[in-house]
Amino acid sequence: MTNVAPLFSDPYRQQFAEFMANRHEPDAIARSRRTAFDCFEALGLPTRQQEAWRLTELNPLQAIAFQPPTHAAIDAQALPALDTPTHRLAFVNGRFAPGLSRLRELPNQALVASLGQALLTHPERIEPAMNRLPGLENHAFALLNSAFWEDGVFVHLPRETVVDAPIHVVFYATGDDNAIHPRLLLVLEDHAQATVVVEYRGAGRYLNAPVTELQLGAGAVLDYHKIQEESPQAFHLGGVRVQQDRDSQANLHLLSIGSQLARTDLQALLDGEGAHCSLNSLTLVRDTQFSDTHVRIEHAQPHGASEQIFKSVLDGKGQTVFDGMIHVRQHAQKTDARQVNRNLLLSKQAHAHANPRLEILADDVKCSHGSSTGFLDPDAEFYLRARGIPTDQARALLVHAFANDSLNRIRLTPLRERLNRLLADRLTLDITEEP
Amino acid sequence: MLDIRNLHVTVEGREILKGIDLAIHPGETHAIMGPNGSGKSTLANIIAGREGYTVTEGEILFEGKNLLEMDPEIRACEGLFLAFQYPVEIPGVANLYFLKAAVNAVRKYRGEPPVDAMEFWDLVHERMELVKMDESMLKRSVNEGFSGGEKKRNEVFQMAVLQPRFAVMDETDSGLDIDALKVVADGVNALRGPERSFLVITHYQRLLDYIVPDHVHVLVNGRIARSGGKDLALELEKQGYALYNEEPGRARRAA
Ligand SMILES: Nc1ncnc2c1ncn2[C@@H]1O[C@H](COP(=O)(O)OP(=O)(O)OP(=O)(O)O)[C@@H](O)[C@H]1O
Ligand SMILES: [Mg+2]
Repeated sequence: MTNVAPLFSDPYRQQFAEFMANRHEPDAIARSRRTAFDCFEALGLPTRQQEAWRLTELNPLQAIAFQPPTHAAIDAQALPALDTPTHRLAFVNGRFAPGLSRLRELPNQALVASLGQALLTHPERIEPAMNRLPGLENHAFALLNSAFWEDGVFVHLPRETVVDAPIHVVFYATGDDNAIHPRLLLVLEDHAQATVVVEYRGAGRYLNAPVTELQLGAGAVLDYHKIQEESPQAFHLGGVRVQQDRDSQANLHLLSIGSQLARTDLQALLDGEGAHCSLNSLTLVRDTQFSDTHVRIEHAQPHGASEQIFKSVLDGKGQTVFDGMIHVRQHAQKTDARQVNRNLLLSKQAHAHANPRLEILADDVKCSHGSSTGFLDPDAEFYLRARGIPTDQARALLVHAFANDSLNRIRLTPLRERLNRLLADRLTLDITEEP
Repeated sequence: MLDIRNLHVTVEGREILKGIDLAIHPGETHAIMGPNGSGKSTLANIIAGREGYTVTEGEILFEGKNLLEMDPEIRACEGLFLAFQYPVEIPGVANLYFLKAAVNAVRKYRGEPPVDAMEFWDLVHERMELVKMDESMLKRSVNEGFSGGEKKRNEVFQMAVLQPRFAVMDETDSGLDIDALKVVADGVNALRGPERSFLVITHYQRLLDYIVPDHVHVLVNGRIARSGGKDLALELEKQGYALYNEEPGRARRAA
């Protein structure tokens, strides 16, 4: 396999050899790294000739020689908090920062830990779950993550374990040219429940390429929030795999605000009858930001339901890509799948690409999708102005209303309220006065 | 208060208003009637500052100031109000929040501090009772999913809270049942006073039984064809506009 590896992988090969030389971990894990690296070498980095990467401008990323992450210490003030008791895990440049973390007691043998530590204490729980979910097989950055991940999060909730306090994870990155590969593995056994918030932040021109695996047993309920607020110079290329057993419910919220280039590839496999997946995504771009979301929802069993709402607000020369596939297998009768994409343009130079797709092999299903892109409603703007509200504020109110609709779907109140304020600040709106 | 002089307006190159002269003094209520498409809403929109219209001749003075030079929000802050013929739905902006933003924008313009929360709440409640509006409407998005009558009532409610010095009501009575019509009229009448003027656009004489105008004007094909007292409305109700129509073929059928 390695003999066909293209030239550009050479720096990766040396890095990988150095990386492996210093690791002490179970053989199974080391083997999975090698397999992933081999696949990456065979595949190479994506090019725009590949359909899935046609619109993603990777040149600025490829021009940088990314290095293994440096060590850094940061102030606790730089990290976002939730105004409620949480299980908190903080990482700086991909490495667990115990001093910035706080883990609480958990019921019923449940485990919430840094992946690195859990690998030492509970390898038997990780090995059978890691890298077992389908999806992202041909995603170069996901493969690089599988080869190079150092640390991350491991959550294992045995049957019927309900974790009340949110699990709050913060990945903070700093320094130029660092390549960071966080790994998140969440296993919810049957009827377990959790709320998880993962926030990405930082300062500098780094690459953050996290991979998240979410496994939901029968009847499990997971509220998962991915908040991408990376530094404006950063690159964020994330992968999310989801697998759901019968009657499980995954409520996934994606917020993309930061990075010069951001992309999230999410694949969900509804692999049990009556599984329900809801996906709520909000993307804000301005200046020359680019944000791309590729989603594939795979209905494999009958009576599943999925709903996707993708909204983006584009200013400046910002660009968004929404590529959403709903695939319904022949056996997945009575599937109910909906997908909506709405893009609000604030500038004539901004561009929203939408590519909604349906592949339905079953004959008794309800599927719908719709996509629309447009400017602010001039009649609404005039209506507000005719009541005395200045143009800027009128426009901000309308943008806020459009975007807030996504944030209001978040059930976790302290997070929702913080994001409401973040959005208002970005629009320089004063919503503290809200009656 | 409002002085319209020889106003000519075109829309997309077509002349809609062809020389309007109208003077409305403080405390007066004027009614404008006229067939569909005669230019009534055009006049209302020009007064409020909507884009898309070109004034080719004439001027409008509001308390001596050149109204046409002002942005719509400045006109509102100066005390002008338009009750829209078709109020816009604004999903995601709560009625109460919108109203408070409007009140505070006007106060800021006047150099006043933001309204006190309790004071605002009291005013809102008092005005809500005036137009018999349900409190639940405050939390709902502006006009979203409101019935036709509720939208019109919301316009009058906003007017009652903002207390403009001059209000244009563009067919606020259309689509209202008789009870709602009385409520709207009560809302307007409660605001009438020596310092406040109204321009009421309507197709129906019955509104003018409740809001008794000082003057009635007939707008036909972009011109004021006749002006008179409140009895003119009764006359129009009986005879229609045929007498005034220079180009009968131009009048559109009622929508
Ligand atoms: N934005 C516009 N673009 C094109 N034509 C317009 C526009 N606004 C008004 N018009 C035209 O101008 C004329 C006058 O319209 P206007 O809405 O002022 O009539 P109106 O008297 O209010 O009628 P109605 O009683 O039906 O409300 C109509 O022929 C209308 O089609
Ligand atoms: Mg009209």
